[in-house]
Amino acid sequence: MSQTMPLLKIEDLQVDFATHQGEVSAIDGVSFELEEGEILGVVGESGCGKSVTAEAILQLLDEDSTFYDGKIMFNGENLLEYDKKKMEKLRGNDIAMIFQDPMSSLNPVMSIGKQIAESIRIHQSATKKDAYKKAIELLKLTGIPSPDQRAKEYPHELSGGMRQRVMIAIALSCQPKLLIADEPTTALDVTIQAQILDLITSFQKQLNMGIILITHDFGVIANMCTKVAVMYLGQVIEETDVRTLFKRPFHPYTIGLMKSVPQIEGERVEHLHSIDGTVPSLFQIPKGCRFAPRCKYASSTCENKMPSLEIVEKNHRVRCWHYDEVKKGELIYAD
Amino acid sequence: MSESTKVLVNKPLSIRKTANKKSRFFSNRLLLVGSILLVITTLIGVFASFLSPYEILEIDPKNRLAAPSNVHWFGTDNFGRDVFSRTMYGVRISLLIGVTVTLVASVIGLTVGLLASYYKLLDHIFMRICDGLFAFPSILLAIAIMSALGPKSINVIIALVLVFIPSIARIVRSAALVVKEKVFIEALQAQGASSLRILFLHIAPNILAPLIVQVTFVFAVTILTEASLSFLGAGIPAPLPSLGNMLYDGKLAIYNAWWMTVFPGLFIILIVLGLNLFGDGLRDYLDPKSKQTVKRRKNR
Amino acid sequence: MSGYIIKRLLSLIPVLLVVAVVVFLIIHITPGNPAMIILGEGATPEQIEELNQKLGLDKPLIAQFFIWLANIAQGDFGTSYFLGKPVLTAFLENAGPTLSLAVLSQLIGVSIALLLGIAAAKNQGRIKDDLISGTSLIGISIPSFLLGSFLIMIFAVQLKILPVSGYAPLSQGIWEHLKYLILPSITLGTIQAALITRMTRSSLLDTLSENFIKTAKAKGVSEKAILLKHTLRVAFLPILTVIGESFAGLVTGAAVTESLFNIPGLGQLIVASINRRDYAVIQGAVLMITVVYVLMNLLVDLLYAVIDPRVRNSYQA
Repeated sequence: MSQTMPLLKIEDLQVDFATHQGEVSAIDGVSFELEEGEILGVVGESGCGKSVTAEAILQLLDEDSTFYDGKIMFNGENLLEYDKKKMEKLRGNDIAMIFQDPMSSLNPVMSIGKQIAESIRIHQSATKKDAYKKAIELLKLTGIPSPDQRAKEYPHELSGGMRQRVMIAIALSCQPKLLIADEPTTALDVTIQAQILDLITSFQKQLNMGIILITHDFGVIANMCTKVAVMYLGQVIEETDVRTLFKRPFHPYTIGLMKSVPQIEGERVEHLHSIDGTVPSLFQIPKGCRFAPRCKYASSTCENKMPSLEIVEKNHRVRCWHYDEVKKGELIYAD
Repeated sequence: MSESTKVLVNKPLSIRKTANKKSRFFSNRLLLVGSILLVITTLIGVFASFLSPYEILEIDPKNRLAAPSNVHWFGTDNFGRDVFSRTMYGVRISLLIGVTVTLVASVIGLTVGLLASYYKLLDHIFMRICDGLFAFPSILLAIAIMSALGPKSINVIIALVLVFIPSIARIVRSAALVVKEKVFIEALQAQGASSLRILFLHIAPNILAPLIVQVTFVFAVTILTEASLSFLGAGIPAPLPSLGNMLYDGKLAIYNAWWMTVFPGLFIILIVLGLNLFGDGLRDYLDPKSKQTVKRRKNR
Repeated sequence: MSGYIIKRLLSLIPVLLVVAVVVFLIIHITPGNPAMIILGEGATPEQIEELNQKLGLDKPLIAQFFIWLANIAQGDFGTSYFLGKPVLTAFLENAGPTLSLAVLSQLIGVSIALLLGIAAAKNQGRIKDDLISGTSLIGISIPSFLLGSFLIMIFAVQLKILPVSGYAPLSQGIWEHLKYLILPSITLGTIQAALITRMTRSSLLDTLSENFIKTAKAKGVSEKAILLKHTLRVAFLPILTVIGESFAGLVTGAAVTESLFNIPGLGQLIVASINRRDYAVIQGAVLMITVVYVLMNLLVDLLYAVIDPRVRNSYQA
């Protein structure tokens, strides 16, 4: 319909879990947009809620103990209002997802050919035979040699890189408009990582897919993404295009993160940079700005009032009371 | 109308305080009910003499096979003995047997399992023997040992101990093997700690959780097996009442004196149920992340 | 794969030997001379001596052991003095009822258990699950003979629609045969069901939390298909183990139920033999039980290979 409607728009997403130790808010305040063909990187430390966000989009979280609030708009419709049947139609079809550990993410007792064919059969009402043939083609497209042979094999008979290719084949079998990739290369050897990322990129170009790429690796962000959202303790604290993030980050946490990455060039430093303090537990979220306890710029406002995600310049949003001073303060990557 | 799974909330939430150990105990229904049952039956066992209005061995042929009444709450048996009093004592005796067997079997099983997990040679020997014993249905093994040793209470204990050592040894061994692989053991070995020291001071405490859960279930099966043994006439010898041999007496009069079977049977079920509830609840309590735990469900 | 099977069968032999030695020792060391028991209290020393010789009990232990082994190798398991027939014959005669009972009980148990276990896992945390879990917990807390007595009281004594006890072989007609087995197999089957339901529920729950289930969900696979197609197959392995072991237990250890319902099965035979020190039968029984157990384990392991390709590979290696 309208060209200006984004493919995916998340507004103030909030996700709570009921756990043994009480209710906990895993995400509180995640908002971002994704246009068709854009690659959004979501970066942050472990436990910041990146995977929860991803899984919330497809509602993969445990139904009985998860509460949602906010909106997840996909092609103009709020996914949080979809019933079970509609979600099942959507998953693997319009929106697909690949996961971090391909070994445990594939069914160990089903041949990989059948696992790929399953998606096709569900969404494209193909016959067993046709779906299987298509599966073999997909294996070829993802660069797996001797696909006929491999299709009969089981996940444990493949290498890590091959398994991830299989996951990609499954995800792309129905040509989704949006691909969510949750740390797709973290569990792989460095040499394979590049191959997998290249594969994803080439498919993205072919299908003009939107991609949400979750990672904790800034190198991957720099290489692949057009846009980046930085998360901390369940919130998006900065969101902008990738160049601006590297050139002019405004949020103290973002700056701290990027400074923490050891540099090959430049002078050798005595101490590696680290951000003071540790990430608090989700059961003890600080009042006010969540990063305040660890932030050198924190004032009493910061400790008492939660800043909202504000647009501070074109295509750049920050959740910080003092971004002004910060932006004057520290520039890391001159280019 | 299609099923909706949405629960949309639009108010800010309050985060409840972290549950401490005590409230986790009470909110774990299994553990709670199991413990209550166990406490009740233990109290019965301990205070059996106070609870019993009649002498358990006192025969009263005039009143044999009397139905439950105000005078005899659980009726009388084929010798005119008060079933209520005998049941109270039966609980005590069955529990005593259970505790003794379980304790002894646990200590021996723990030792055997630990040693087997650490020393290859002992592992082969012990585990072959355990496998052999394990293949045997416990009841047959118990009967065989009883008939070899003779019909005495102490022999019941010995027989059951022998029957249940393998199951404890196995669990201990599997759990110990897992702990053994952990890095801190390697660190201790590098520091020069002696094997026995590592085994008993370091590995043992780390396998307590699965051990205690298994011990609870072994206790439950002991009670059941003693009952079966006595039911076949190969258990606690008369006239001392165990819940099992009361059922043996009841077997012959089952059609005209149901109370001889129902009441002792009821208490067997209560004790074993209490133990099983406790065991399940204990397992959940010790490992709240275990997926067996009943999920916290939404209640908004 | 056949190499694997042969290897497993061969490993039976050392196990059997160990078991045989142990049992032989236990039996012969215990007090009580069978000849005395057979002849009763009024026997004279000469009569006892004569019987001893006849039974071969006067020879040294080791000799007795090897004679026994040699006989077995030829298929002769000895003769029961009490029953007056070869041990093997006695076994075969008593095996029928026990097998019928075991198969019937296990069928009842497994069908109920799979249904309930799946329902419980699907509805975890809700009332259905609580009910099923609670009932199966009670089910494993009831002694079999208690449940059996209860069933007898209701169906045989009060309602009079089924016989109290006894047994009729298949040759007398299928309904006759089944009539006597209904109550005992419900008794055993219920307890089996409780046991297997717990394992089914537990295994399904464990498998449901695995990563590949999340992937299946992300593919859009329906809830039903996830449960039945993806979860059940992987979860089935531990369930299969329990089914196998409990079946072996039914065959070898249903003594109490057989006694209650007066079914002339292996359990009754063994118990009676133990009580009257019928050495020949006891020794044969021990061997038979061990064989059943080992074969059952082998069968389960082979089925594992059929279900799980990862296991298949390791067997062929």
